[in-house]
Amino acid sequence: MPDIAIATEKLTRRFGALTAVDGIDLQVESGQFFGFLGPNGAGKSTTIKMLTGLLAPSSGRMSLLGLDFSQHPIEVKRQIGVVPEGMGLFERLNAPEYLEFVGRMYGLDKATTRKRSDELLEFMQLADRSKTMIADYSHGMQKKLALAAAVIHGPRILFLDEPFEGVDALAAGALKELLARMTERGVTIFLTSHVLEIVERLCSHVAIIKKGQLVAQGSMDQLRAGVPSIEGRTLTLEDIFLSVVGQGADRSQLEELSWLT
Amino acid sequence: MADLAAGPGLLEQIRLVSWLRWRILRNSLRKKSRRLDLLGLAISGLFSTIFVAGLTVAFFAGTKSLIENHHEQFLGLLFLALLVWWQLFPILLAGFTPQFAFRSLLRFPLKLSAFYLIGMAYGLADSAALAALIWMIAMLAATLIAQPAAAPVMLVACVLFAALNVTVERLLGAWVEKLLAKRRSREVFFSIFILAMISVQFLNPIMQKYGRGLVTVVRTWLPYLWLFPSSFAGDAVARSVQHQWAAAALKLGALAVYVALFTVLLRMRYAQLYSGEELSETAAPARKEKRAAISPSDENEMLGFLRPQVLAVFRKELLYLRRNTFLFFGLIFPPMLVLFFSVQFAGAHPTAFKNGVSPDLFFPGMMAYLVLILIAPAYNNFAYEGKGIQTYFTSPTGFREILVAKNLVTALLLFCEIAFCVVLVGWRAGLPSTPVLFATLAGMIFSIVGQLTIANWSSLNFPRRMEFGKMQGQRNSGMSVLIMFGVQILFGGVSACILFSGRWTGSPWLPAEVFSVLAVAALAGYFSSLDTFTDLAEKKKEVLIDTLCR
Repeated sequence: MPDIAIATEKLTRRFGALTAVDGIDLQVESGQFFGFLGPNGAGKSTTIKMLTGLLAPSSGRMSLLGLDFSQHPIEVKRQIGVVPEGMGLFERLNAPEYLEFVGRMYGLDKATTRKRSDELLEFMQLADRSKTMIADYSHGMQKKLALAAAVIHGPRILFLDEPFEGVDALAAGALKELLARMTERGVTIFLTSHVLEIVERLCSHVAIIKKGQLVAQGSMDQLRAGVPSIEGRTLTLEDIFLSVVGQGADRSQLEELSWLT
Repeated sequence: MADLAAGPGLLEQIRLVSWLRWRILRNSLRKKSRRLDLLGLAISGLFSTIFVAGLTVAFFAGTKSLIENHHEQFLGLLFLALLVWWQLFPILLAGFTPQFAFRSLLRFPLKLSAFYLIGMAYGLADSAALAALIWMIAMLAATLIAQPAAAPVMLVACVLFAALNVTVERLLGAWVEKLLAKRRSREVFFSIFILAMISVQFLNPIMQKYGRGLVTVVRTWLPYLWLFPSSFAGDAVARSVQHQWAAAALKLGALAVYVALFTVLLRMRYAQLYSGEELSETAAPARKEKRAAISPSDENEMLGFLRPQVLAVFRKELLYLRRNTFLFFGLIFPPMLVLFFSVQFAGAHPTAFKNGVSPDLFFPGMMAYLVLILIAPAYNNFAYEGKGIQTYFTSPTGFREILVAKNLVTALLLFCEIAFCVVLVGWRAGLPSTPVLFATLAGMIFSIVGQLTIANWSSLNFPRRMEFGKMQGQRNSGMSVLIMFGVQILFGGVSACILFSGRWTGSPWLPAEVFSVLAVAALAGYFSSLDTFTDLAEKKKEVLIDTLCR
């Protein structure tokens, strides 16, 4: 029996008449690098917000590391790390102050917090900007700091909403290395990204959401098996995604914009 | 290749920009809160109309009287008043009113001359400029009645003076925009502004004491104003009243030189903007920094009995307070106003009354006033969290700890400010009798703790985002303000009744006893409310996140 890190059962979220997430059943095993995909407005961020306690579900259940979220919110939060949409930074602190704040909020003692904070700032190449206020950081630097804050307490599950957006190629490479090593050590990573190449390279398992409903879930091979193949080459995640979600603007619509070309 | 349409004409561009501003205003009114702002706008518009109309009469009467009574050499002072108004008022308003990103028009295919003219049109459409134009028309009308022959010179002087003012105003505006683009300089600007506002409070007492001497000083400096453009405008009219036409023409020429000079300067400034000068909110490019050393004093050992989560939020709140220049400088206000009130109304030689208010009344009054203004931010406790509010909800910390930490910072601030003010009031007006002193202190504990409980509830239910270093739109939500007023009236009324009960019953210690009981009850209520508010925060988290992360 595999060890399940994240499980949802008929997880639903409604905003008035709009059902943003419609009864999804997710199963993510411990140690998996899990990619969660979908077009704009499909319900990715709403799902991740529910899984991290930022949004209450309208109905359904979710359990993380075997604990029911609604029953044990504090115990669950202690074991997860989050880079939320918008990053959730206190922008009028500097990086060491922010990391110290987060470390202490997760119950780390002062010495451990400072040691880890120093190491993380060095790794994220932020150590030489430690006096600068977060508000004055570039978007990429803020992203790196948010990631540092998400891992400072050594979480068992890491939720990342578009973690590589705005991060330069050098830092992105180092981050991918870090995340890969974390999964080797048994950490579960739940990631959303619009960059399908990144998801394909990093993630062992993928789920695709469309209009609030899960339309595909499984390993890359399982997903390939579920869609028509293209002769002469292996299906990429982009092929699978387009096949499952459907094409965007069709050619006839493009032809209407002929004055642009 | 796509076709490129011929560019619109200058008038069409101005029309388009006017339409854009109108649409922005109209769309912003779709929000309910903005509609309330419109009501506020209508009320302030009414007061502004009365103000402008009043001064129109004053400018008319002043000009007429100066010309008819042969004091036309003082006409320059009226122009000086116009100059000061036209230049200072828009700068003071810059921090409070939404600024239209005039520079953003540059991404469209505008010529420099069109950009310049649109800029000037903006300057003339400014409320300060419109008021000044009305006052100048009043001056012209007065000249027409008092000395019709001088009216053409007055007309030319007004036109040149208006051109000069709108040019200088746009020039200053462009510099102020550059200044306010940087967070730090914006905060320094507002700090200076706050200090200036505080200083204004002391004008009346200073004038009462040194007023006569000040008139002499002003008279000494008055001749040096002759080089000001306002003096040239005034003198031109004065000379025309005296039928010295050549001298009048010379003065108008000098005024025209001023206009030309500032036109060149403004055109140079606009050329810089036009060529793509970068005004950025962010700091300068990266420079190597020494790593921040964390000193042993950061250990907060004194507060070691608190939970780490409470300490973390407590420390963060203090850092935020230190970095919020506007709030930080706002802390100077209460002691300064207490000093001001004590000079005016209490002590041996009050400036407002012959006999000062007794310490038994003045001391509780001042303490109530301090609580009133210092506790106000607690009613919107999460105002400055921004996106950081998400961290509170994703971390394994209950809102009990977060609220306690925030309230501790408020209590600490209140303690420091009140302690300082007690010394201040003691020095200026004397301390009250012992029973009143104890009653006031116990009453303050009751009021502060009681209000903090309600303020926590209000903060969770009616949050409003505020931004560092900004003054425009930085106020609590309407409901939160209503709650605060209601609670403060209630607490103030109850406290006053209890305080006076000592006099009515003839037992001076009764108020202290009643307040002590109430303070204990308030403390019990406060601690028992924390768990309820933790649950409430969970229920309200979507509103909080949505409002504060917007």
